Amino acid sequence: MADQPLLRLTDISRHYGAIQALRGANFEIGRGEVMGLVGENGAGKSTMVKIIGGFDTGFSGEYFYDGEVRHFHSPTAAEQVGIAIAQQELSLIPTMSVAENIFLAGDGVPQIASRKTLAKMAKPFLEEVGLGHIDPLRSTTRLSVGEQHLVEVARLIAHNPQVLILDEPTAALGETDSIRILDMVSRLKESGKSVIYVSHRMDEIFKICDRITVLRDGESQAPRAAADMDVNSLVEMMLGFELGDMYPARTPVPRDEPVLKVRELWPDGIIEPISFDVYPGEILGLAGQLGSGTSEILGAMAGSTKTRGGKLHYKGEAFLPTRPKDTIRRGIAYCSEDRKHDGLFLGRPIMENLSAPSLETISSNGFLSGAKELSSTTENAVKFTVDPKRLPQEAGVLSGGNQQKVALGKWLSISPDVILVNEPTRGVDVGARAEIYQILRDLADQGAAIVVASTDIQEITNLPDRIVSFYRGVQIGELQLDEMTSANILEQITDPFHEAGIAVSEKAS
Amino acid sequence: MTDTALNTRDNLSLIQRIRRDYSPLVIVMVGIFLLVFVAGAVFTDDFLTWFNVKTIIRDAALVGIMAIGLTFVTLSGNFFLLSMKEIAALSIICFATLMSADWNQWGPVEGDPTTWSLTMTFLVAFVATMVIATVAGALQGALIGLGGNPIVVTLGAAGLFFGIGSWWSDNLVVSYRRPHGAEWLGTGSFIGDIPNITVAFIIIAVVAELTLRHTTFGRQVYLVGANRAAGRATGHENFGMAIKCCIIASVCAAFVAVAFSGQVSSAHVNYFSSEFGSSGDMTIMVIAIVMVGGNSIMGGYGSTLRTSLGAIFISSIDNMMVLNGFNSGARVLAVGLMIVFSIIVFALVRRGSRAVE
Repeated sequence: MADQPLLRLTDISRHYGAIQALRGANFEIGRGEVMGLVGENGAGKSTMVKIIGGFDTGFSGEYFYDGEVRHFHSPTAAEQVGIAIAQQELSLIPTMSVAENIFLAGDGVPQIASRKTLAKMAKPFLEEVGLGHIDPLRSTTRLSVGEQHLVEVARLIAHNPQVLILDEPTAALGETDSIRILDMVSRLKESGKSVIYVSHRMDEIFKICDRITVLRDGESQAPRAAADMDVNSLVEMMLGFELGDMYPARTPVPRDEPVLKVRELWPDGIIEPISFDVYPGEILGLAGQLGSGTSEILGAMAGSTKTRGGKLHYKGEAFLPTRPKDTIRRGIAYCSEDRKHDGLFLGRPIMENLSAPSLETISSNGFLSGAKELSSTTENAVKFTVDPKRLPQEAGVLSGGNQQKVALGKWLSISPDVILVNEPTRGVDVGARAEIYQILRDLADQGAAIVVASTDIQEITNLPDRIVSFYRGVQIGELQLDEMTSANILEQITDPFHEAGIAVSEKAS
Repeated sequence: MTDTALNTRDNLSLIQRIRRDYSPLVIVMVGIFLLVFVAGAVFTDDFLTWFNVKTIIRDAALVGIMAIGLTFVTLSGNFFLLSMKEIAALSIICFATLMSADWNQWGPVEGDPTTWSLTMTFLVAFVATMVIATVAGALQGALIGLGGNPIVVTLGAAGLFFGIGSWWSDNLVVSYRRPHGAEWLGTGSFIGDIPNITVAFIIIAVVAELTLRHTTFGRQVYLVGANRAAGRATGHENFGMAIKCCIIASVCAAFVAVAFSGQVSSAHVNYFSSEFGSSGDMTIMVIAIVMVGGNSIMGGYGSTLRTSLGAIFISSIDNMMVLNGFNSGARVLAVGLMIVFSIIVFALVRRGSRAVE
């Protein structure tokens, strides 16, 4: 670590209207350092990142880069001195090839370059991010989401940045792609680059970061060496209080009669039809990496994605849902992994979001009853610890954690017997995460059957009572509570056929 | 309902709330616009007279009713029906043809027809027109609901409807004798000197607004419009929604066609293309009203109340310019400017409210 930090921001304040996003926060990063930036949703991480990258210019405070006071007026200005941001949302152009995307900005490339030249030039950058095996001429759409994220980073590296900001690079990724990203960060560090790593995933933070800066309510804590901290003390710093065990305790669930039998269900993207049972009162985990088919299975069970065939046996009838309405009517709720896409009406009030699946129950003869809606949504909001005073606000102003609670909470209004949840805590901060786990457990204790699909290995190990595992569209096996160790699960979801020939437990550690 | 709930939550004054919710640029722009409007109103002779105000609202009524219908389509996230004036053209031809058809004359051959016979003739023609408009709306709605691009579908439908209307009428003016059963709607007035079409406008505006706010259907319109995927995931499919909304818009267009035919006792397919309103093109006029009202072009945000006020606002500006002797070109320009202006303000307002996270 250099004596003089490469980048230093002191006493940064920023407010949006009445909301104070940052209040006198400090941040610094040295040359060749990996600095973790953590905090709950709404703590000011995104604002800090935007300010560093020149996206946000309306702040007060001092900005030093390389010892000089700088004030960037645009992201381009920041990029020119070597500060690059990999955003959470992908900005690749899907119709172009990987190489074309990498050299989108066009600098350093001859005016007229053949596809082959571009490919040759792109190769080293791809290798640097661990995508050496990918043909640079391949169309970007044919890459996995993880690979696309890596291509995005490769594009940034092509500009030879001094400081690279990764804003939750692994939020949407499975285990293998996450490992690639972490490897890449280590390589960047070795080559003397500084990396600001923003993430909710504690294990990653501790694996790669040298120091960690914690933001809480817009205020920063002095950066501390990662080696001096552990997960508990970090979470405590983020929350400002101690968090008990994040995952609710599990006790063996008696399984008599399944509430839902999935038989020969064959969703698109799955190699062969699959069957499994779901029992009331349990949380069943569908374990699998991105691309393993668990999302498709949940989607097919809910009627929201295409299915080639199969049947759901439920309450004495066998049916195959073709649209979400079919399952909602029968009391099966489905919460997808992408709440912004189909989980929330961001521009509508929270109240309308919460009552959306159950308009029939709050209306008579086609007329809405405002009183009924208010009482039922207030009840659900309280259950999910969303302040009922916020009900008239737009769902879009909520933090990620609260959005997820609303996306999930709206299903309580139909009193579901089966709840399908894909990635229950994606992009959700630690505090809200624990709450969501507790709510899911409470619902199961009240007799609901809950099916959770997750690519987060910690979550899938610690939340469910039972696991069915998947690997590349194939159902691998079932794990009972006493067999559910991270190593067992990882083996089943990353390398069940021992193709790689390496011990998975090595990878896990 | 939700709006008032929101307002009672905080104890800020109106001015404080405006300053919190809107950026200075928006406030200045709206301020300048209102200033120009008020100045124009004060300095234009004969603008602020009871007679003129009545004229403004009556002028707003026909386009306003159509725009209210179209608002449902826009709010439900199905963009616009670019076939509004062609639906009206087909409807007016249908209506006038049936009004003048020999078999549909219920009165005595000689002498004045009775009220009963006029009513029967009108009812047959009116119901048939509404049926045709419903079919036209359902057809477009189904295609849009199945995933057709609203622009492409309704442009195609526009050609279809105009073609049928033109062919049916041999591109001639279809006229029918006075007295006829549509006069009460076209030019009559039951309440003092307030024209019936103005009354119809007000009733439709109120019913539409109450429907949106207090019925399950109205809520579904907003939800599906705000996020179609989330709507589907919560059991509200756009297929049925698109059909219903397109039927509402088509029926409104047909109603306007009937009322307009009642005014002029005739019909021609070009009535809504060339001889109507200041801009001359009914579809553009109606879309302008929806936009100037401040409804989100993406759906899910807005109301028919906004549309109604938009109609009256455009009508006032138009009226003011007529009184000041501007020609129709300048008035078209003004409408265009208002659309651009409202889109800019709207975009800024929405961005402002989204900055919180």
